Amino acid sequence: MDKTLSLIKREYLIRVKTKGFLVGTLLMPVFILLMTFLSPIMAKISEKASKTTNVAVIDFSKQVFWTIKASLSLDKRTSQGLPLYNMQRVEATPEGLAAAKENLSKEVKDGKLSAYLIIPADILEKNQFELHSKNISNFAFNQAMEDAISSAVIKARLQRSGLDADLVHKLNRRANVKTFKVGEEGSKEESGAVAFFLSYAMVFIMYMALVFYGTFVMRGVIEDKSSRVVEVILSSVKPHQLMAGKIIGIGAAGLTQLVIWAIVAALVSSYGLLMAKQFAPAVDKIAIPSVSIWVYITFVSFFVLGYFLYSTLYAAMGSLANAESEAQSMQWPVVIFLIIAFMLMFAIMNSPDSPLAVVLSLIPFFAPILMFFRISVNAAPVSQVLLSIVLLAATIWGLIWITGKIFRIGILMYGKRPTLPEVMKWIRY
Amino acid sequence: MAILEVDRVSKSFGEVQAVNELSFAIEDGRIFGLLGPNGAGKTTTIRMIMGVLMPDSGTVNIFGQPYSVDAGDAIGFLPEERGLYKKMKVIDTLIFFAEIKGLSRKQSLKPADEWLEKFELAEWRDKRVEELSKGMQQKLQFICTILHRPKLIILDEPFTGLDPINTNLLKDVMLELKQGGATIIFSTHLMEQVEKLCESICLINHGKSVLSGSLPAIKAQFGRNRVRLGYDGEAEFLNDHSLVSAYDDYGQYVEIRPAENVSPQQILAKAIEQVTVQSFEVADPSLNEIFISVVKN
Repeated sequence: MDKTLSLIKREYLIRVKTKGFLVGTLLMPVFILLMTFLSPIMAKISEKASKTTNVAVIDFSKQVFWTIKASLSLDKRTSQGLPLYNMQRVEATPEGLAAAKENLSKEVKDGKLSAYLIIPADILEKNQFELHSKNISNFAFNQAMEDAISSAVIKARLQRSGLDADLVHKLNRRANVKTFKVGEEGSKEESGAVAFFLSYAMVFIMYMALVFYGTFVMRGVIEDKSSRVVEVILSSVKPHQLMAGKIIGIGAAGLTQLVIWAIVAALVSSYGLLMAKQFAPAVDKIAIPSVSIWVYITFVSFFVLGYFLYSTLYAAMGSLANAESEAQSMQWPVVIFLIIAFMLMFAIMNSPDSPLAVVLSLIPFFAPILMFFRISVNAAPVSQVLLSIVLLAATIWGLIWITGKIFRIGILMYGKRPTLPEVMKWIRY
Repeated sequence: MAILEVDRVSKSFGEVQAVNELSFAIEDGRIFGLLGPNGAGKTTTIRMIMGVLMPDSGTVNIFGQPYSVDAGDAIGFLPEERGLYKKMKVIDTLIFFAEIKGLSRKQSLKPADEWLEKFELAEWRDKRVEELSKGMQQKLQFICTILHRPKLIILDEPFTGLDPINTNLLKDVMLELKQGGATIIFSTHLMEQVEKLCESICLINHGKSVLSGSLPAIKAQFGRNRVRLGYDGEAEFLNDHSLVSAYDDYGQYVEIRPAENVSPQQILAKAIEQVTVQSFEVADPSLNEIFISVVKN
């Protein structure tokens, strides 16, 4: 056991002491912080920094221009408080339209105008207007124009029918959704989109961590084998000790990294948010959802179990390879399970408590991704979680027995890579 | 007592019979040379001793038992293909290899520094292994092999890649370890080191033992006199088959195998007639000559 400990210690320290580990561990939270706080702030800033846009309007209907000028100058403002859209009325007769268009197009080309609109006389019946601009894929602008003119047209129609436009508007108001998450502490207000993003992010981190650290195990085994260190080591320790040392040592390094990230995440969601509010009031609008302690615990549990499941496979694959260059092709048979699990997450996303979702998430090879996803969206009852853990543990037990046999023989085999039937023979002996 | 016993061991890889019914035994406290030309089966034999390979038939006993990891704590093994962890520091490497042999960090630190001093690696103590030259890495791996004071030391081609100074240093250390009670087995095809170090040898060729026993006994077995003659002039008598059965020209001198019933004195007398004699010596056949004649036959 002391020897296994030395092996674990070596594997752990050699990884934790590298610059790459330090940088990766620190950069990830910084990256998350930037993504969380900077992107909405940047969005706000870019919106406010915009300049006044000049728009010319030829209004044949004579009913729309003043309404949209008023509504747009009320709603949209630049950072200096000026109207975002400066709407200018241009007079034209239907006969002189061609000449007017030519004139306005020239101004658009010269940059004096951003765009011009042509509102036909029969807009109340035909529901169509023209927008001429150099850039016709500025969706925010197109949307603003469409919204403003639509409201103006509706208002004009209502007035024509003798209805009170303001009253109809009041009666017509849409209902907005406000989401609450039912958790341990009762019902709590939380943004649905942000909550989904958070559980997606956690599943993604789980997926990446399993691929990342599993590959580390495989590369470590190949390194030992190709550098021939393994001959000396196996004259001192048993193969299963070497395998355990690799898996536990590298796993501990991975867990260290995840724990650091979790602590940073917890600090951010409590204190960091307060700090951020001081410097950037815009943060107010983002609802940072809380992650319950149950999700934290299951994240670590499923990471550890998933890691053992996959790293034993990775270790066995590594023992069959001869050189680092073979690593790429050797990891496919393993990583494909993780990729399938990740794809299936999208399949069960909309109904995470359907029977299909339950069955898929109980399959041990998918459980670290799918069961954890269901936990993170509060769709997995505790009984299913426990059943999943038992199934995973049993699978790991069986896998260690099988992969241990492959590892024991493979690690000392040089030369030709063994075929599948040969490997099956090793398992039977 | 035999500390290591190899008994009728065979191993083949596909069609190739790498080792064939090989037997030898090594007495406690000796230095044993496992000799043979390239591809003779030396490394395969050593891998079977270390349990890296399983013999097809026959047995290997170390300390009276088949190889086990527990017995491994009393063994130091330098494999033919060297390998160290490139990213580890020199001192951490030494401690790691001592730890997996059952030593504690504390126990290994002091001897590690002493050995580094001895092999002139002390200033590299905190450098990474990859920064060392190949020769230095070889010395480091040798220290890894012996740091835990093994009773049995198995070295596969320990001298390859070392300069003459380090070769001498390694040879002295091996003699020192032997005086400290260790048994050493090493494989090589460098006869000079064998003559200086070994008490007994086993010469293998095509996986078979062709010559084995104590070095003096083997030399006695080939105990025809050899004449080493240094001279100036034209030595025509060397081609006289009634006098000289064969000779090897080493440049500085020729090593002469006299014909049957010809004494060294007769050769000396003939030499004085024809050339200016600068040196004359009657000696045993060199191991080099034995090696070549046995392998070629």
